[in-house]
Amino acid sequence: MSPLGVVERLLQLVPVLLGISIVVFFMMALTPGDPVELMLGDARATDEQRQSLRHDMGLDRPMHERFLVFLRNAATGEFGMSFHHRRPVRQVILERLPATIELTLAALVIALVVGIGLGVLAAVRRDSWIDRLSTVTALVGVSMPGFWFGILLILLFAVTLGALPVSGRIGYEGEVPFVTGLLLVDTLVASKFASFFDALRHLLLPAVTLGLAMAALLMRVTRSAMLEALAQDYVTFAEAKGISRARILFRHALKNALIPTVTVAAIETGTLLGGNMIVETVFGWPGLGRLVVEGIFTRNYPLVQAAVLLYAVIYVLLNLCADLLYATLNPRVRS
Amino acid sequence: MRTMGHAIAALAILAPLAAAGAADLRVGYSSDITTLDPANHRSRVTEGLVHNIYDAVITRTDDMKVVPEIAQSFTQIDATTYEAKIRPGIKFQDGSALTAEDVKFTFDRLTKDNAMGGKTSPRASLVGPLADTIVVDPLTVRFKLKNPWPIFPAYLPFNQVVSKAFVEKVGTDGMATQAMGSGPFKLVEWRRGDSIILERFAGYYGGATDIPPAGPARVDRVIFKVIPEAASRVAALLAGEVDLIDELPQHMIKQIEGNPRTQVLKTNGTRSFFIDLNNKKPPFNDARVRQAANLAVNRQLIIDRILSGLAVPLATLISPDSYGYNASLKPYAYDPAKAKALLAEAGYPNGVEVTIDVDNAFKDQAEAVAASMSQAGFKAGVRLWERTALTDLWKDPEKHDRQMQFRSWGDGALDPVGIFVPVLKSKDRGNFSGYSNAEVDALLTAADTETDVAKRSKQYEDAQAIIYKEAPLLYLWLPQDIYGASKRLKSWNPSPRGIVKLHRAAIDG
Amino acid sequence: MSVQAVEARAPAKAATDAVAQPVESIFIANLRDFRRNRLAVASVAMVGLFALMAIFAPYLAPHDPYASDLFRRLQPPAWLDGGEWAYPMGCDGLGRDILSRAIYGARVSMTIGVAVMMVAAMAGMIAGLAAGYLRGWTDIAISRVVDVLLGFPYLILAIGLMAAMGPGLGNIVLALAIKEWVLPCRVARAETLAAREMEYVEAARALGASRLHIMLREILPNILSPLIVVCTMRMAWIIIMEASLSFLGLGVQPPVPSWGSMVADGRQFLIGAWWVSTLPGVMILLLVLAINLASQGLRDAFDPRMRT
Repeated sequence: MSPLGVVERLLQLVPVLLGISIVVFFMMALTPGDPVELMLGDARATDEQRQSLRHDMGLDRPMHERFLVFLRNAATGEFGMSFHHRRPVRQVILERLPATIELTLAALVIALVVGIGLGVLAAVRRDSWIDRLSTVTALVGVSMPGFWFGILLILLFAVTLGALPVSGRIGYEGEVPFVTGLLLVDTLVASKFASFFDALRHLLLPAVTLGLAMAALLMRVTRSAMLEALAQDYVTFAEAKGISRARILFRHALKNALIPTVTVAAIETGTLLGGNMIVETVFGWPGLGRLVVEGIFTRNYPLVQAAVLLYAVIYVLLNLCADLLYATLNPRVRS
Repeated sequence: MRTMGHAIAALAILAPLAAAGAADLRVGYSSDITTLDPANHRSRVTEGLVHNIYDAVITRTDDMKVVPEIAQSFTQIDATTYEAKIRPGIKFQDGSALTAEDVKFTFDRLTKDNAMGGKTSPRASLVGPLADTIVVDPLTVRFKLKNPWPIFPAYLPFNQVVSKAFVEKVGTDGMATQAMGSGPFKLVEWRRGDSIILERFAGYYGGATDIPPAGPARVDRVIFKVIPEAASRVAALLAGEVDLIDELPQHMIKQIEGNPRTQVLKTNGTRSFFIDLNNKKPPFNDARVRQAANLAVNRQLIIDRILSGLAVPLATLISPDSYGYNASLKPYAYDPAKAKALLAEAGYPNGVEVTIDVDNAFKDQAEAVAASMSQAGFKAGVRLWERTALTDLWKDPEKHDRQMQFRSWGDGALDPVGIFVPVLKSKDRGNFSGYSNAEVDALLTAADTETDVAKRSKQYEDAQAIIYKEAPLLYLWLPQDIYGASKRLKSWNPSPRGIVKLHRAAIDG
Repeated sequence: MSVQAVEARAPAKAATDAVAQPVESIFIANLRDFRRNRLAVASVAMVGLFALMAIFAPYLAPHDPYASDLFRRLQPPAWLDGGEWAYPMGCDGLGRDILSRAIYGARVSMTIGVAVMMVAAMAGMIAGLAAGYLRGWTDIAISRVVDVLLGFPYLILAIGLMAAMGPGLGNIVLALAIKEWVLPCRVARAETLAAREMEYVEAARALGASRLHIMLREILPNILSPLIVVCTMRMAWIIIMEASLSFLGLGVQPPVPSWGSMVADGRQFLIGAWWVSTLPGVMILLLVLAINLASQGLRDAFDPRMRT
């Protein structure tokens, strides 16, 4: 893709984001429930207090005006104050974003390892019982409700075996360095290996719960691509030349088969990122997904609006990355 | 992003780590706090935690008696004036002395318009008609009310005292994420959405002398871990990851009690459960149908079976622990025959179809009520709603055709003014049933400003007798608050207020 | 997240190579391929069994799935202490027979899966055909809407819409279908784009066939296979989504049993009364697994790249 093509794609982002702004604004605005009453709860409040709260929250203006304010805010990346936190939305979101990204990346790694491993195995032993078993294994993670699978893992690995923690990102034994917000990276940069392993232990169960759901997809893509690659002329040619089977598999076929897998993985990372909330709730993971769901239930308009736009930007950028990746990796597209 | 990184890094450097082997008390908490500012929220969860950092002028014992905390004495001067003498020598966590100026600053911040960075505190209503706070001398303050408000002492514990110098230094924005009070614990770090780490404040004055044992905290650190999912919270307790959890589901009690390492801690709650009956529309505009509904629910069976026996049936919506409770009224007994007879008398000889609106959290209880009613002349069903949407739907009884709403109302001060008035006075803020009775209104209005304690109680008791008979609501029960704890946790009892204040708690090896 | 979302994109291109050939022979060849895959055939049989269970639920269920008896609250399955064979899988938190509820639950869960996919497939197919064949502004408009929906996280959109509309079966179908049609639409559009350049379409056009005739009679039959593959795959995902919404308190209306709501309500009993969520959980696992395997069998059979 030429640099001009990239710019064009980025420009296409504008109408998409505008559309998403409209959808998310009116979805929240038309949902029954008054954020002001929700803030007050069972509390006593005079009409003046109620009115002043409504004014503070910017809800005393008519809807079209609020929409224009939101658009202006969105253009500048400032979304005002989160209703319940009473702090800027941007701050509230950025605090939770690294945890979500770390969980997503870890899940991605697990999905890649499991998916590619089983996919290659299935392709090589095509139509054998190994193929079938790999397929079924890969599908188990995606065939159970995530919250149920997660709780079962907790009961097995945390309560019964006592091997892994139930919830949280890291323990409380040492201070947690902050560089990127990704604990695995930060602890390594600070050479705190004990903390690194602690964070890894906390990450394992939620990442497996999330990652296995995606592994099935990557397994299918790998298997198909691998079968296709194995049917290519150069493989037949290599076989004729007497090159070892393993060498053919890993040097030639797998290299080509990985192109669609990696591309699909890049695109799916966006979907994975936007689908964290249930795993985050079950494992007490302090990520963005949980925050957004709470935001919907508490009618925290600015928070939900900003988060959805953020997800959309990430999604579109990841798609762009996937296309660039595909173009770079695949010589046929490049030429 | 970068500034946040610096802020957290700075915090981490400022706060030395607890020594190895230090006693940590970990709490599995059902939700994260929204702010650390004691004056900028309306959340019981937030108050329950923040109270570990900030102390109040007066507080409550575990059996809800009001006692001085940072005050040495708290007295009423006249109908509209109260005086608090501050205990000498109380230090904030930065070493500065707590004086009457700080108390005045705290309450000015709560009551004055735009006193919090141009905004008004959402807790302003919790100090009622407080007009002014006057510094008499460095250790004496007077609270001056606009008009008599006999429950002022009952509401004062809801508000914790901040340091004037600290607030002026960090501003209202800073107060959201930084904390410095006179309470037993200092803030070490708030990992948003994950945990709040607190550390023992060695210079703590000891807390309320009426609640022994007084003295500094007995554990080195308290860590509140946010675990929203109940099943995971229980798992964390069973796995030994935390020592205390809040909101233990009733049906887990057997498992927690059966485990040699864990125990169940209970306290009488302050939240009454009831079902709004739409008094404006048929069939519940007829008192006989409302009485029939009250007779149609087998409260004790549902309490025993669904709530593990951990609730008391209610005669009206007032807790038996509350001031002004009318003990002569007995909860409606389950009597399907009489319910059917009343229905027939009201013109429904073949029963009447009704729907209970409920949100997901209490779906099973509402279904049990519906099943019970269906055996006593009603054809009751349940309709599930999202919580906020349901509240919105019911808020104006004139404008909807819904029939019943499963609901609760909390009354942390245990005074009818906090539950009776809002739920059943004509057009009050929580009156969703549309009930309106001039006699009841008159009694409630008189009690609002009645300063004679016995007379005021009598007014509430009389009003209860009326709402018992007229049954504007379907009265249900008052459940206990249930906590799960490891047996390592010693000398901590849950408070009916839902405050998880931990400086008296100790932890074994 | 849409796990199978992207997999569907891959076959789209390849499958177009096949449409030039006569339709019937491919279909029969595909079917023969499919029948060779014994796991896939077994899966189809399993889905069929669940469908029969849903249809004949009133005859199969030993008890009224709504009848609550608080004295049977959390009664264990028959083979455990305190269980009895009248209630073989035990009772739930309101003392209702779990087996009967699970049998009736098949109706609800499968209805949601089928209904969402029917709505989404129809809408997506029409939009995709229109976008791919008419091109121009129609294409731009539809593609923009598709882009907007793709960028909107699935679960957040569904939760938001459910919060706005309230829980309930019909609302679940609506909340999911609103985004779900995007996938069939993309597949249909890509297939149509390729098909409109094919000889048989050119021939029809030369003979003066109307646009509607070409879209519905010439192109549609040729793009059905990849659409069916995508839609079965997505059906599995929809059933899981219903469970996720139940977990968040936005499921079907009580007392109707859906597997998702049974697992979600039962999760709180996992410690102590594991049987409440286990049977519906296993049912979901089996059905979703079977649908996935069947759809993969279909894909392998219908995807010409996979034929040797």
